[in-house]
Amino acid sequence: MPGYYDISDILMEDEAVSVAFHVGANGVGLLDPGTETNSVEKGAKIDLPFWLAHELCRRRAVSITIPSCFGQKMKKDVQADAACVDLGTRYPYFYEFGCKLFPLVGDKSIGLFLRHTFANRYKEMLSKSHTASLNAIPKFVLRLSKEEYQLFEAARSSMVEFKKWRVRDLGLMKTTIVGHKRKTDLH
Amino acid sequence: MYARRAAQLLQELSSCEEGQLPPYNGDKFDQVIRECEEHSRQFQSLIRDKDIETKNEDHYGSFIHHLSIIRNKRCLMAYMYKRAEVIQSNRWNVGRVLPREIQDKLNFSEQEYFKDYCGVIDSYMKDLDLDLTVDMVPPKDPYIRVRVLSEIGEVSLGDHAVSLTKDSFHFLRRTDAEPFISQGLMEEFVE
Repeated sequence: MPGYYDISDILMEDEAVSVAFHVGANGVGLLDPGTETNSVEKGAKIDLPFWLAHELCRRRAVSITIPSCFGQKMKKDVQADAACVDLGTRYPYFYEFGCKLFPLVGDKSIGLFLRHTFANRYKEMLSKSHTASLNAIPKFVLRLSKEEYQLFEAARSSMVEFKKWRVRDLGLMKTTIVGHKRKTDLH
Repeated sequence: MYARRAAQLLQELSSCEEGQLPPYNGDKFDQVIRECEEHSRQFQSLIRDKDIETKNEDHYGSFIHHLSIIRNKRCLMAYMYKRAEVIQSNRWNVGRVLPREIQDKLNFSEQEYFKDYCGVIDSYMKDLDLDLTVDMVPPKDPYIRVRVLSEIGEVSLGDHAVSLTKDSFHFLRRTDAEPFISQGLMEEFVE
């Protein structure tokens, strides 16, 4: 589980979610750009960062609406071709965010959807990461979410180490071939 | 407000490469602290003379300010922690003396932290009578060929003195050459 100091966890929690307030809140008018008084009305629908929405939802002050990244359109895109969906630019924290959002929202299908997406993307990612060269960044890397990118880097660096190992210089002395001279060239 | 600026600080830090630091952003750091003070003032005004138990609008407003302060604190702590980690790794990767470009990126207390950390490592190594910072990668050969990149001059290594002029080649013990290689003054010559 990510720790207190984990920077990518902190940045992930900054993602905006749309919430509906069940209660009013005074003194926090800056959260709602549409309000005139320095407070948020009961029933207002505003975008909050996830860290705030998460805590308020736990105390039943707001309810979180499922963001578009887990909505119907996204499900259709994944159904069509999971590997082409651009998670890198649109939703880099797709999986982590889904895992944290899942217990707060009543929708049980998010968990299955995350697994289905990951499984379908993984196949292509696995084969491409083992053949990718070190210098060029293949285009598909830009479509990977942060978590997928870590897996990709792990695979790529392990392939590089393997190649280095294969051609390693063992420091053995090269011996000359002694014995009968054969007609065929042995080198 | 509401920890957006603190998140920007962390974005700056995470956009740097692994092991590198951006210059210490003292201005933004102070701004985040001032935001915390502002949240604290708003919090005080909302809970003044109010009954803590009633869950009215003031309660939720004050709760949001409280959460913002906690969030800002987490961001600032993570910022300092990550920078401290990189500073520590610099001692092992670069050496006892930091080059100018790295020193300029640290603020005063971070430079002090680096000095203290070096002191702790040195006293530990003295107790062990072992230099832990050489041979970070297990060497295949105790001697290596090196090419000198910048003029170093006369250096006494072991029992003899070597004149390390620019672009000269030498066959040195790995432990002697390593401090120069990590500072970028020499490079290993691979055929």
